[in-house]
This record gives sequence, structure tokens and C-alpha cells, in this order.
Amino acid sequence: MSMVFFKGGVHPEYQKEITSTLAIVKMPLPQKVVVPMQQHIGAPCELLADVDKIEKGTEVKVGQKLGDNKGFVSSPVHAPISGTVTDIGLYNHPLGMKINAVTIESDGRDEWDEAIKPAGDLDNLTVEDIRRIVREAGIVGLGGATFPAHVKLSPPQDKPIDIVIINGAECEPYLTADHRVMLEKTEEIVFGLKAMLKALGAGEGIIGVEDNKPDALRAMEQLVAEEDNIRVCSLPTKYPQGAEKMLIYVATGRTVPAGALPLEVGVVNHNVGTAVAISQAIREGKPLIERVLTVTGAGINKPANVQVRLGTLVTDVIDFCGGLKESTLKLIIGGPMMGLAQPDPDVPVIKGTSGILALTDEDVYLAESSPCIRCAKCVSSCPMNLMPTSIAQAAEHGDFTRAEKFYALDCFECGCCSYICPSKIPLVQWIRIAKAEIMKRKSK
Amino acid sequence: MIIIEEKLVVSSSPHMRSVESIQSVMTDVLIALFPAALMAVLLFGYRALITMVISIITAMLIEAVWRRKRDLFSDGSAAVTGLLLALTLPAAVPWWLVVVGSASAIIIGKQVFGGIGYNIFNPALVGRAILVVSWGGHMAGDIWPSPQPFAFGIDVSTVTGATALAAPEIAMTFSFSELFIGNIPGSLGETSALALLIGGIWLVYKGHIDYRIPGGFIATVFVLGAAFGGGFYGNQLMTGLFHVVAGGVVIAAIYMATDFVTTPVTPLGRLIFGIGCGLITMLIRLWGTLPEGVTFAILIMNAATPIIDNFTIPRQFGGVNKSA
Amino acid sequence: MNESNVYLQDLSRGIIKENPVFRLLLGMCPVLGVTAFLINGLGMGIAATAVLVASNVVISALKNFIPNQVRIPCFIVVIATFVTIIEMVLQAFQPVLYEALGVFVPLIVVNCVILGRAEAFASRKPLFRSLIDGIGVGIGFTLALGLLALVREVAGQGTIMGPDPDSAIHLFGAGFEPMGLFGQPAGAFIALGLLLGIVNVLFKRFKIQ
Repeated sequence: MSMVFFKGGVHPEYQKEITSTLAIVKMPLPQKVVVPMQQHIGAPCELLADVDKIEKGTEVKVGQKLGDNKGFVSSPVHAPISGTVTDIGLYNHPLGMKINAVTIESDGRDEWDEAIKPAGDLDNLTVEDIRRIVREAGIVGLGGATFPAHVKLSPPQDKPIDIVIINGAECEPYLTADHRVMLEKTEEIVFGLKAMLKALGAGEGIIGVEDNKPDALRAMEQLVAEEDNIRVCSLPTKYPQGAEKMLIYVATGRTVPAGALPLEVGVVNHNVGTAVAISQAIREGKPLIERVLTVTGAGINKPANVQVRLGTLVTDVIDFCGGLKESTLKLIIGGPMMGLAQPDPDVPVIKGTSGILALTDEDVYLAESSPCIRCAKCVSSCPMNLMPTSIAQAAEHGDFTRAEKFYALDCFECGCCSYICPSKIPLVQWIRIAKAEIMKRKSK
Repeated sequence: MIIIEEKLVVSSSPHMRSVESIQSVMTDVLIALFPAALMAVLLFGYRALITMVISIITAMLIEAVWRRKRDLFSDGSAAVTGLLLALTLPAAVPWWLVVVGSASAIIIGKQVFGGIGYNIFNPALVGRAILVVSWGGHMAGDIWPSPQPFAFGIDVSTVTGATALAAPEIAMTFSFSELFIGNIPGSLGETSALALLIGGIWLVYKGHIDYRIPGGFIATVFVLGAAFGGGFYGNQLMTGLFHVVAGGVVIAAIYMATDFVTTPVTPLGRLIFGIGCGLITMLIRLWGTLPEGVTFAILIMNAATPIIDNFTIPRQFGGVNKSA
Repeated sequence: MNESNVYLQDLSRGIIKENPVFRLLLGMCPVLGVTAFLINGLGMGIAATAVLVASNVVISALKNFIPNQVRIPCFIVVIATFVTIIEMVLQAFQPVLYEALGVFVPLIVVNCVILGRAEAFASRKPLFRSLIDGIGVGIGFTLALGLLALVREVAGQGTIMGPDPDSAIHLFGAGFEPMGLFGQPAGAFIALGLLLGIVNVLFKRFKIQ
């Protein structure tokens, strides 16, 4: 148990008991998938139309690359099912815009690409091999940030990494996908961590798990008992424990400088799902074509942790989980604190989709906000030590210079301030406006 | 089949909100004030009860009329203002004085600035300051009724005197435990440090007040009292404690100086605010012309709140000061 | 626009639309300083009006002879002359009022209402219009002072026509305990603030621009 606590944070109702005991179920192959060309942070993929002739009518197999980009900070996408490309064009994206996507109609045979084969023993692979495999498999951070994993495995020469943290905090309420992965794919996580340690030449691996998942902690501890360089760190349950900077602070005592990446302090962290994906890419040669996500909330008839092929439409996933109740008022991709509300369930599951959450009229807060009473609960709950109310007030007045003075850019939008606010002011929304405006002015 | 009724609601994250609201916070403050109010009735009898009821009802009525809302309790802030004001009054004030004070607190103290969240000064203390300036004869001097514990029906206004702070020779007539429990002349709510501390602990436990303000306030009063307070109860430490419990410091530190709207939001700013309140209080008590100074101390510090906030912006997590 | 209309506007502007106290917030010193009693307020208003009218007329008459560069000193000389006259008149015929107004009478010299009208109106406009303007602004100033003083005296003393016990009329009987706040300078600020608020609300309600 870590004795270090990060400042601030909140204790929302976790609601994890809905799905935390349900084993991961595999969803049957969908009839149709939609694969957006951008499912990661960085340069969007370009359709492989020239060499591989990906166009309307092409037959594709599972794991075949559909799009890629030569840029370093980018990640390819693969066909998650075998079948025929029926459409290429703009499609709804969970981020709320339309993005170029490939639609594949399933042939039901689930034939895998011949090129897919295991890469061999970890001991025989070089550092470069591992990075290449991870990149080619299209692995990105599966916690939701979707930062390309191979970039994190390739730190600059002058920034040596000595600790790799596997993030199993899963601090978002409702979500239990990581929890189930830790219970059911424990071995793969540890293997993925070993691969990362090798790729980074790091000496220590830490698996951080919030202490509200004692079974996952136990499972992890049993498995790494023999390993000298890997330890399991029990994290106090507090939202946002899984945020990069908070996790690193609690697990290692190191403070990531404001505006900098964790590698500044010699740490890299990856989600448990990412570790599993890396393990599968090395041992089975499998690219990232499926993920585990939690379908939950009072609006879902049969909540579950489901393993689905990427590109499966959210409507199909919800159908598989018994459909939505009539009282559903809000459909969220991700968790309730940082997830995105969707106007339309006709969106594909992408690499960063950690959950589908349907909230009913009972959980959705719709009333107007009252004036700020300066109770400063947002100030004390902010894990980044910011003054949300002052940033929001400056943004409301259009004074973005002042908002920047309050370090608006350091906000990572965890939502603690909006959650705790007794006046129900949408603080995060104002801060987002401020951030966007400050960035716009900076780029000028 | 998926049934999608009409449209789905889309809004910015987070999609969960805590159950806390302004109303629930204000209700918690009222609960925290209950021990002090109860103590006031036990000590000062029915006159105390009447004063509190008049003050609360006037405050709520004026607020409801001003906002043109039928909801009398509404967000609860008016009731808190009304009760706080009543607790700062002597037990035997005439009813019309309570009405005027409560109305001034709501109108001049709060609503003219734009209502809750916008006022510069603590409304209850604005009400009290107006009463002190307007009717000094009812609010200060030898007008403080002596408490008659557990005698609800007795009109306490018949026997009056000065407060412990007024002069050393009066102070020494009370034992220290009487000062702490509250069996001394004084305003309704200020006398019982015990009852006030119980409510204060509850508020800190609920996370509604920051220990820095009452902590800084009381510590400053204690230190200055011990250093310059004159001789009470034989030694310096007891003199410091005397200054903490004898007057309105405890109620002011826990309930007035922690008023959300009129105090700084930054942690350091709150500490500065508390210390400033203690400093001014002791300046007035020891070297000023008034026996008690908490009201004006807090009002003066209220005025300084924006500037304190501006100069105490905390560094962000990982900011240069911290990592260096 | 016909002529009488212009004069009517000159007169009413100073009373309502550009009331020096409630709309322009000019000459705040005497407004806050001498309005504890109605008589003092009105006396101050009338004294200021007399100076204002006289100086407006003289400055308007002399406007073509005053060099632009030294106009402000010239205005001051004119105003100061009339203030001295008024001061002597008050001292001779209204010694009680003179005592009550104290330093605020000589301070009329630097009252920005008067200097403002001289600069903005009298030095540019014809003599008769300046006269009318001076009367209008003076009435506006006097009314504002009177209103504020009425509020403060009734609330703060419970009388009107005080402080002289012979003339004072007690409105609420002997048992009344006046709200001492309004008798003090701090109360002047609060009363003025409340009146300003009410005036603003009224202007908005009746859409007076």
C-alpha cells in the first residue's frame, strides 16, 4: 500500500459492482464494422489504396493493414474481420466529428491474414524488434488517451527510463474492463510489462492497482512474487488515481514537471490493456483488432464486460447487451468523469473505447447552475492544484490572459471540480473553452 | 431493438455530479449552528428563542420577496444569515431591532450586490455593524443580560452588566470553565465556546470549512493575547486562552470568517485571512476604543479578500517551485 | 425646433436626464457631507444654485473676452467671487445654517458641478440659455440634496426640519429610536447608494436615456 497521497481528488459513487464480477464475454462477429482512419493521437492514417489496393470491393482478411502513416507519431489500423470493403468515406466518430473510415461487410469466415505469425521468444528479440512489432500491430494507449505505444517505448537518448508503470488503477466509476483483464489475463500483462522493460532497458516494473480491486491485486501479486524487478503497488482508491501524473507520484514519489511528459522523470506508464496487446502482438503476432470494454449503466438491460472487434458499431454492442432501456437519457463513450456523450449510437468502437455507459434520467443532472459561492471545493479537489473557479470565471468574462495566469493549460480535465461543485457550474467546460482559446492565440 | 426516445442528451464531461448543493451545504451549516442555538436558549431563555426566530424569518421573507420566489427556504443562505445575525445579538434586544438588522443584512449586505455569490462583505456582520452604529445603546455597554441557565421562562433582560472583555475586574469574576461553557454575559451565540467547537468540528468533518481560517484566527488571538493581553488568571497562557473564549472570537472564526463568498479561495490566502482577522481583532481589543473587534476585523479582511486571492495563486502540480 | 422648446430642454436636462448627483455623480463632497438634515441639504443646494446661476451668466457674458489658455483660472475667479458673496450673505442672515454647512460653503469654489457647467455650457452658449441651464442644474442639485437629506434625517433622526429643536418636527413620537447610522457619514454613502439604485431602476423602467 502506497503511503503517498496525491492532493485533491474526489470519491464519486463507483458503481463498479454492476459488472466487476462478470467475466469477459466474447461478442460474436458483427455483420459490419467501420474502421476510422484515426484512432490515435498523431497523424491520421492514409488509406493503403496504391500498393494493397484497399478500395471499394476489395476482399480483406483479419489483421490486414488498412491504413498507415509514415509519421513517427502515428499508428496503423487493421481489418478486424474478414470480408468485403463496401464503403470508404466519412463516418461518425466517437470524438464527435466525421472521419474517413472503411466499412467492411463480414463474410462470416473470420479468415486471418497469412502474414500473422508469432514473433518468437522475447529473449531473441532486439529492442528494435519489439518497437517495430508494437508499431506494426497498431498498439496505442488503451486507457483512453490512445497515444501510440511505440513512441512511449522509444525515449530520446538523453532521457533514460528506469521505471515502467502498468496502470491498473481504473479510477473511472462504472468501468471494470481493466479489472477483468487483470483477473483473466494476468499472465499476459506481466509478459507485456517484461517486453516493455526490455524495450526501454528499464530496471523496475510497477503494477499499480487501486485497492478497491483486492482480487486483482492478489492475482497480480501471486504472479509477480517470483520476479525481482516487478512489484505490485496498491493505490488508495480516489479519483483520478489513474491519471498519469497522479499515478507516477503515488507509485514512485516522483513529480512530473508541469507541461512535461513522464519520461522527464524516467518513467513510462502503460495501461493494462496495452500490456496485453503488446503481449499478443509478440507471442501471437496479432495486431490490435479487438479490445475489452465495459457496457454498463442503469440504461443497459444486461451490463457486461465484452471483448469486441474494433469497428463494431456501438448499436450492435448495446444490442448484444440486451439493448437500452427507455429511460436512457445519455449515452457515453468512456467513463462518466471524462467520457464523451454521444448524440447518436451509430458510432464504431475504436481503440480508445474503454466503456459504453448508458445513464438514465435518474443519474443525469440537467438543472441550471447557480452563481459561484466561492466555497473553494474545486480548488481543494483539483489534483493539479489549480483554481478551477477562477479559470472558469476568467473564461466566462473572455479574459483568456487571466485564465492562463491561473495555469489553465495544466488542466487535464479530470472533472473533479465540476463533480464537486455545489453550484453545479460546468467548470471543466469553461476551462476547455479557455484552453482552446489560449492554444489558438499561441499558435498565431 | 434499440429504442432511442427522442434525442440523447449531450453535454460536456463529467457526467456525474455530487449530490451536494448550495442548499445541502447551508443546511449543514444550520445543523452545525444548532448546538450554539440550543445553548443560547438554555442560557438566555425564551428571549433568545424569540430573537432567533424573528431574525431567521425576517431574513427568509426579505430574500423571498426580493427574489420574487415563493420558496421561503430556497438555498438556505438567508436562514443561515438570519441565525448568525441573531447569535451575535444581546439576548434582550427589542424585536424591531432584530427585524431591521436582519433586513439590512439581506438587502444591504447581500442582495444589492446581486445576491448569493456576489456580496463583498459577510451579510450577517453587515447587519450587526449597522445595528452597532445605529443603536449603540442597545448593542454595547452594560446591556448584556446575565445568563439564567435552564430557566426558559425568565426574562433575562432584568439583570444586565458588561461582558468579560469590557474590563479586567469584570473578567476575573468568571471562572475559566464558565467562560468555556458559556455561562457569562454576552451575545446569544458567542458565549459558549464548547457548543461552537462541536459545530465547527462537524463542519470540518463535512469539508465545508477550511481549518486554516479558524486555525489562523484563533492562534493569532491566542498568541497576541498571551503576549500583550494583560494579566488574566495568573499566567500568560491563560490570558491567551481568555482572549480566545471570552468574546466572539470562536463564533467569528468558525462561522463568520469562513463564510464562503467573502473569504479567499486559495489555501495560503485563507491562512493569511485568518491571521489578519486575529491581528485586527486584537488591535481593536487591546489598543482600540471598543472592547470587542471581531465584527470589524472580519469586515475589513473581507474587503481585502480579492487582493489576497490575487497574490496567493498556488503553483500547479509539478510547477517550478515545487519540483525545484 | 422652436425657441421655447430649447429653453425648456435646457431647464429639464439638469433636473432629470443629467441630474448632477444621480446621473453624473458630480459634486459628491457636499452631497455626502451636509445632508444629515433637510435644512442643511436644501440650504447647501440653494447656495450652490445661486453661485451656479450667477457664474454661468457672467462667464457666458465674458466668454468672448476670456483667453482660451487661461479659461479655468478665470472661471475660478468668477466662481470664487460669488462664493465669497454667498458666504458673507449666509453669515449675515443665516448664521445657524452657515455654522452647519461649515467648510462646505467655501468648497463650492471647487464644486465640479459649477466648474463643469462653466466649461461645458456657459463658455459656449448664449447668455440666456446659460442662465436657464444654471437654474435647471441648480434645481436638480438642490432636489437631489433635499431628497437624500430627507431620507437621512427621517431615518437617522426621526425628524424633519431639524436640527434646531424649535423648528424640528418629530415624526414618530417620543418612543422612536432613530437609526443612527444614517446620521453618520457612513450612512450617507449607503443612503446615496440605495437612492442611486432606485433612480437607476426608475430610469430603466421609464426608458429615459
